[in-house]
Amino acid sequence: MLKKSAETATIDFLATARALLPEGASYDACVGCGLCASGCPASGMFGMDPRRFINMAMLGMNEELSTTPWVWACTQCKRCAYICPMGIDVSLLVGASRSNWAKEDKPKGIVRSCAAQMLDESTSAMGLRSEDFVEIVEETADELRQNDPRFAEIEVRIDKPGAKFIINQNSREPAVEPEEMAPIWKIFDYVGADWTYASKGWAAENFCMFSGDDEAWRDMVKTRVDAINDLGAEIWVNTECGHSFYTLWKGIDRFGLEANFEPASMVSLYAQWIREGKLPVNSDWNVDNLKFTVQDPCQLVRKSLGDTAADDLRFVVETLVGKDNFVDMQPCRSANYCCGGGGGFLQAGMSKERRAYGKRKFDQIVTTKADYVLTPCHNCHSQIDDIGAHYGGAYHVTHLWTLICISLGILGPDERKYLGPELAAIGLPDPQ
Amino acid sequence: MTSLRETDVLIIGAGATGAGVMRDLALRGISSILIDRSDLNAGASGGNHGLLHSGGRYVSADTRTAAECHREADILKRIAPHCIDDCGGMFVAVEWDDETFARRFPDHCRDAGLPCKELSTDAARTREPALPGTVIAAYAVPDATIDPFALVLGHVDHAIHLGDSAYLPHTAVDVFEIANGVIEMAMCRDLRTGAETRIRARQVINAGGASTMDIAQRAGCSDVKLLYSKGTLLVSNTRISKGVINRLRVPGDGDILAPGGTVSLLGTSSVTVPRIEDNRPTVAEIDHILAEGTQMLPVLETTRFIRAFSGVRPLLAAPDAGGNARRASRRFLLFDHEDQGLKNFVTIAGGKLTTFRLMAEKTADLVAARLGNTAASTTSTMPLPLGDAIRWTEPGLAARDWYRRADPSDMIMCECEMVAQSAVDAITADAPGAESHMSLKAIAQRSRIGKGACQGAFCAMRVTSHLYDTGVYDSRGGLELMRAFLAERYRGVRPVLWGAQLPQAELAEILHCGLAGLDLMGSSTTGEPE
Repeated sequence: MLKKSAETATIDFLATARALLPEGASYDACVGCGLCASGCPASGMFGMDPRRFINMAMLGMNEELSTTPWVWACTQCKRCAYICPMGIDVSLLVGASRSNWAKEDKPKGIVRSCAAQMLDESTSAMGLRSEDFVEIVEETADELRQNDPRFAEIEVRIDKPGAKFIINQNSREPAVEPEEMAPIWKIFDYVGADWTYASKGWAAENFCMFSGDDEAWRDMVKTRVDAINDLGAEIWVNTECGHSFYTLWKGIDRFGLEANFEPASMVSLYAQWIREGKLPVNSDWNVDNLKFTVQDPCQLVRKSLGDTAADDLRFVVETLVGKDNFVDMQPCRSANYCCGGGGGFLQAGMSKERRAYGKRKFDQIVTTKADYVLTPCHNCHSQIDDIGAHYGGAYHVTHLWTLICISLGILGPDERKYLGPELAAIGLPDPQ
Repeated sequence: MTSLRETDVLIIGAGATGAGVMRDLALRGISSILIDRSDLNAGASGGNHGLLHSGGRYVSADTRTAAECHREADILKRIAPHCIDDCGGMFVAVEWDDETFARRFPDHCRDAGLPCKELSTDAARTREPALPGTVIAAYAVPDATIDPFALVLGHVDHAIHLGDSAYLPHTAVDVFEIANGVIEMAMCRDLRTGAETRIRARQVINAGGASTMDIAQRAGCSDVKLLYSKGTLLVSNTRISKGVINRLRVPGDGDILAPGGTVSLLGTSSVTVPRIEDNRPTVAEIDHILAEGTQMLPVLETTRFIRAFSGVRPLLAAPDAGGNARRASRRFLLFDHEDQGLKNFVTIAGGKLTTFRLMAEKTADLVAARLGNTAASTTSTMPLPLGDAIRWTEPGLAARDWYRRADPSDMIMCECEMVAQSAVDAITADAPGAESHMSLKAIAQRSRIGKGACQGAFCAMRVTSHLYDTGVYDSRGGLELMRAFLAERYRGVRPVLWGAQLPQAELAEILHCGLAGLDLMGSSTTGEPE
């Protein structure tokens, strides 16, 4: 169990709220309606919930709030803030509390992930250095060129100046499953996009925000922004990942950094290319009428782009799987429930709490009777996969890139790790 | 149905003084029955700042009352520390206050034997960051605050545990049967059930607060003369200051901001009223108090207030004060009524919450002497015990207690103050005044229920449901008690409906009218099953 040592300072939460929250939306405005608490999957853990956090701040229970491990069970998903009729954002105070914990008391996994990001200009939480990344990408690209004649000429560039798009890549793929990078390359190749990776700051994760280390969060964002600026890319595209988008998008504004590019979500790019006819995907491949649902990544939808991103996500998914084969979870879009994979929860070593948190998401998924959950976010992907195994769900969890490539008939045999047996062989080129 | 009860002493009025007398007598081995037409703290003992005066408020006009306050406050800090927040206080003058008056304050304090320390403007603002830069004089004094509900509960509970004494809520005297200069019987009525109780006591004490004049008249005594001064206070959502902040000027309205645990209380007004029933806070009073208070504490301009309440000060009518209640004496008077031809009746009137113990001691001295009891009062040294059923009035206690246990099976009934069902159960089982079909108002009075920002919006429904679940309520009467409680809360909420308290009231209306349909409930006889 996480425990805070006695020496750590006690925060005056009411004063902090006045400083952090906009006028008229301080805790003082709370009407106690409980919409926050009833919609928070962390409610009840450690005797806490968002409304209780507010009430305890009102009652001056600063010591309890400064030490409750609940701040590590809250994923800072901001559903409470979204739903609050008075505009109160508890997650900001949770962030202040996380920052206040002594480094040695914080969940070690989150701290380690942030520390790993600080080690090298790669900013990889898995400790993958820039030269390793370059080597892995080149090797994987070579294999792809050799194994599939259709992609014998595919270009995978690193540090190409002046490319229109620059892609950030989650460390999980180069470190653990490099073959999962290929679908994205194929999609960009298919639409003829001019893109590149950067060898510096290429990673798409940021645990420093979750560990409550603002300075490190800033450093992380700065390294990446500088790398993108240096290459002169027009559009920064984050891979299918939520928090990494948020940390850069929000970090630029929060830390007043100069960014000479536009941020874009991978999902919205897919949607744009489908609308433009560049990605001629459809649901013909879904002959068994498999059912699909999607997880709206909190960090991408509610916390960053809002329902526009949710609309794009549904447009892409409905086109890919067939309108009738798509089932939404309720609530969804900006009001969705966090799955429990965010906020560093997956790295925090609190599996019991994380899975209890995820039970609400599991129940939501099971209610849709979906065969597949599509998660354009790495943390959502891991968490929903894990709670499915833990609670005995029969669903599979897949990235969008996998389905796009299936539909285009370009998904390779080794890029099907997350597909069930019914899709394992679909759309494979005829054996020679 | 009539019942007969016999006791040494009948005490009428369960405010601080009545409760104080009850305990003082019990400690001398004298049993009593304490009755109140409403409940504990129903009058001025509940409707006040909870200020344990250092005496600073009175040094300029009444050295004796000031010195008395100082002595008594010291005693209470020793015997009942759990009821007291020894937060300290400050007297502050701001620009446009009379500086000459302010500068005489330390001399007046010295005359009354009251410690007083001058503070620079910076020092005052360091201590109380809410103070503005316009402070021209500031003096620290040993003010404190006291929880009058905990105090009265503690006294009654202790007296009951000491022996044969009893407390009967919602019981009032209809008629005194008097013969040969002696009250032989008090014919009382349970105002809730209508049942008659005859109480035969050797001595009768009138500690009825604002009702003392009326009670004395029922006993044929015309010597008690009171002036009724209504005071209104506002309750903020959070605690604004560390200690008590008093305006250093000739006592006026909106002069005092006192912490009340987790909140602050701003007041008061002083409106002379002809009848004690005139005790609703009005919008005009609120505006006036805020306008005055804001001069000293500009932060009040944007402070969220959650309710207002009024109390009626029963002041001794002094010939020289005219109708001005601010100039009326804060002293108390013990009437033996012997010149009115009664040998076993006393009235204790006037005084202040801070001096209630002394008032009780003097009253008990007289009554004990009449009963031939020679034991001396021990209330100045005997610590006030605290029990599980009476500890729930302390702000924040229920919350900290629950958080420590975090037992999900002990459901929280009141979210604002985090009062759990176990606290409600303890109160309905053992608190003084616990009874079958105990009213929500009585439970709230013995806890923090209904005291938070939502003013009972949620907890009223949750506690009532819990009381139905546990069989405390078994008829429509429970719902009516809930509605009565909410109506009483709304009376205090209505005059402060602006800012965040407006949506708060809207939410309460949705819950109580939209969801529960309380507005359509109609009325039937309370407690009667349908």
